[in-house]
Amino acid sequence: MSQTRVNASAPFKKKGALAPPRKSLKVPRLFIFLCLSPWLFGIIFFTAYPMVTSFYQSFTKFNLIDSPEWVGLENFNRMFFEDDDFWISLKNTIWISAVSIPLRICFAIFTAWVLTKPKRGKNLYRTIFFLPSMVPAVAGTMVFTYIFNPAYGPINKILEKIGIDEPPFWFLDPKWSKWGLILLGLWGIGDTMIIFLAGLLDVPKSLYEAAELEGATGWQSFRYITLPLMTPVIFFSTVTGVIGSFQYFTQAFVAAGQVNDYSHSMYFYATHIYHSAFKAYEMGYASALAWFLLVITLLCTLVILKTQKRWVHYPNGSLFK
Amino acid sequence: MKKRLLASFAIFALAAGSMVAASTTATAAGTRTVTVWSPYKGGNLELWNAAIKRIEAANPGLKVTSVGSIDMAKSLAAINAGNGPDISVSNGAGNLGWFCGSGAWQNLNTLIAGKNGLNVKSTFSAAAVNSTISNNVRCALPLNSEVFAFFWNKDLLAKAGFKAAPKTTTELLEASKALTTFNADGSIKTAGFVPWAGYYGFDMDSMWLGQMFGAKWYAGDRSSAFASDPKWAKAFAWQKDFIAKVYGGGNFDKGSKALTKFVASRGGEWGTDHDFMTGRVAMKWDANWMAPMFCTGDDWSMADKCTAKVNFGIAGFPTSPDNTSAFGSGVVGEAQMGISKGSKNVKDAWIVMKGLATDTKLASAWDAANGAPSTLLSKDARPAKYPDWYQPIYDVAANPKSAYHAMKNTGEHQEEALLQNLMASWQAGDTPNLKSALADLAQKVNQIISRNS
Repeated sequence: MSQTRVNASAPFKKKGALAPPRKSLKVPRLFIFLCLSPWLFGIIFFTAYPMVTSFYQSFTKFNLIDSPEWVGLENFNRMFFEDDDFWISLKNTIWISAVSIPLRICFAIFTAWVLTKPKRGKNLYRTIFFLPSMVPAVAGTMVFTYIFNPAYGPINKILEKIGIDEPPFWFLDPKWSKWGLILLGLWGIGDTMIIFLAGLLDVPKSLYEAAELEGATGWQSFRYITLPLMTPVIFFSTVTGVIGSFQYFTQAFVAAGQVNDYSHSMYFYATHIYHSAFKAYEMGYASALAWFLLVITLLCTLVILKTQKRWVHYPNGSLFK
Repeated sequence: MKKRLLASFAIFALAAGSMVAASTTATAAGTRTVTVWSPYKGGNLELWNAAIKRIEAANPGLKVTSVGSIDMAKSLAAINAGNGPDISVSNGAGNLGWFCGSGAWQNLNTLIAGKNGLNVKSTFSAAAVNSTISNNVRCALPLNSEVFAFFWNKDLLAKAGFKAAPKTTTELLEASKALTTFNADGSIKTAGFVPWAGYYGFDMDSMWLGQMFGAKWYAGDRSSAFASDPKWAKAFAWQKDFIAKVYGGGNFDKGSKALTKFVASRGGEWGTDHDFMTGRVAMKWDANWMAPMFCTGDDWSMADKCTAKVNFGIAGFPTSPDNTSAFGSGVVGEAQMGISKGSKNVKDAWIVMKGLATDTKLASAWDAANGAPSTLLSKDARPAKYPDWYQPIYDVAANPKSAYHAMKNTGEHQEEALLQNLMASWQAGDTPNLKSALADLAQKVNQIISRNS
């Protein structure tokens, strides 16, 4: 015990001086292993093993009943050249990523900025805006399909009242269904908004004061101070947004189940994996789809990581240099 | 603490040891064991287990382990892992092609033809005989039926001058025209009949539409008949014409939009605000198990006298003019059971399965409790007493033209889902070329079958 006690009276070591050798804590290795074992168990049996198995299965034909049969690259060939649903689901997924991520970021910045303004009741407003993100995805989607119901939903009633004679059928119309999902996503913006709010509150006030003295307008302050300082948060939201949108499933699955999504307008990549695995019982093909998803998500993330040097401004330097 | 831990371990070890000992003793005494997994629970499981007891009594030395509340997904996973039951039960007919084709359920042809076999045709209804076979392989025996028939509101039809249910698609269109009313804004107030994928249809509307026109699902060469049987195109053309004439004043787009809104505002499925109970729709396709609700409102019992607001009748589906000989029929499926791949006791499993499928006491008790007609032809399989209003369900179930569609190995209801999608797209006006859409559909189904074979 006394060996590890810090000598409080020792002078601060000079920059560059070698640190005195520390005596390591004598903790039995078995104890360390035991402490790590729940995580190790989880990563080996619930992540590594399924990943290795699914990688193998992606080269097989496997229907859950018979043993997997090796088919080489046939699943990938089918994916790219024979499966229309693969392309539909990929197109829908790219659409939702391309539209929802910028919209979510803009809306989150705007909401966070608005929430920095109130003089009183800040915490109450912030809680109110954050609450929807805590609603379970299934419940939120059910509510949205109700309020956007073209026959009795309040949204269309309001639209009709303000003079729109033929409001959209929303989730019932292939042309509008994805926009319904986008609105659902914007409603639950709280989790992204809270990060932007933290980022905005972190911007030093002195910068704005200096800009004001220099005669900068509100837009110029935003463009040249707020936005550059928010780029690390935008970068983070983009990366997590891309990963999340490629796995977009619950809301689309529930909404499509509520209506008759015959046109597959809400059929996303994750739905295609689910459908192939648990409806068509083609586990080999579903595994191939899942691995392709991993590859495209990884590629997109790498591209964003590569480009960040050009547009992300780290006041204290980048973590990814 | 240590002592407690040791004591718990000792108790666990003792219990495990005695279980092993018990099973060893049972085997040593020469008991033959058959395991049956079923989705049944509560009262239904009690009836099921009572039938199992009768089989055990009739077969000394045979021990049946019955486990309830297990659906086919769980059974399949266990069968795949090599520790499945000897017999598993599927609560519906739609996946037989897959269970047969993938080998999850064994081929029963030899057992049926064997010494302790079974004359299937003289034992079960025609629909049950046909829907337990896929590609000439019988791999299931049927249990109780589910019957999809035509329900009509007697009062509403009488008011419009119709004394009986329509028998043909032409009569159906005329009756619907007379029964459909509109609000001042042009929206539908009450509908006659709604031939619409997704209107309380359990995703089976397209199957029912096909049955009305006598359309075949597969050709003789086992390929999809969606493109080769012209009756499919006829059925969809009729649907489009119906929507235009009844709901759009001759304009299909107008009718389609009006029906989309009408269907979106339908009442709940499981209660008194169901459109059929409120009179919002006068005629519909539906299942026999909805009949007790239509009869009594929220109380799902087989009452002698119906007390709910709707005064309804049940009949076979109206048929197309070239399919009138099929009038009186409907779509009939049933719960099915099969002997699992990997069963180590096929001989005894067959005894148990045959016993369960032919147990008239089980069938009649089940029917009396749930309104689930037996697939057995024997009169003893019916309850001693049943309400008059339920008789048409028996008639539809017994009709030789009643059928489930032929089934191939397409995974879980794949061809049904694809056809339903086409119907939905067609009714929304999003399928401009029906012929090529049907050809694409047939090609997709054939691809699935070829991949799974």
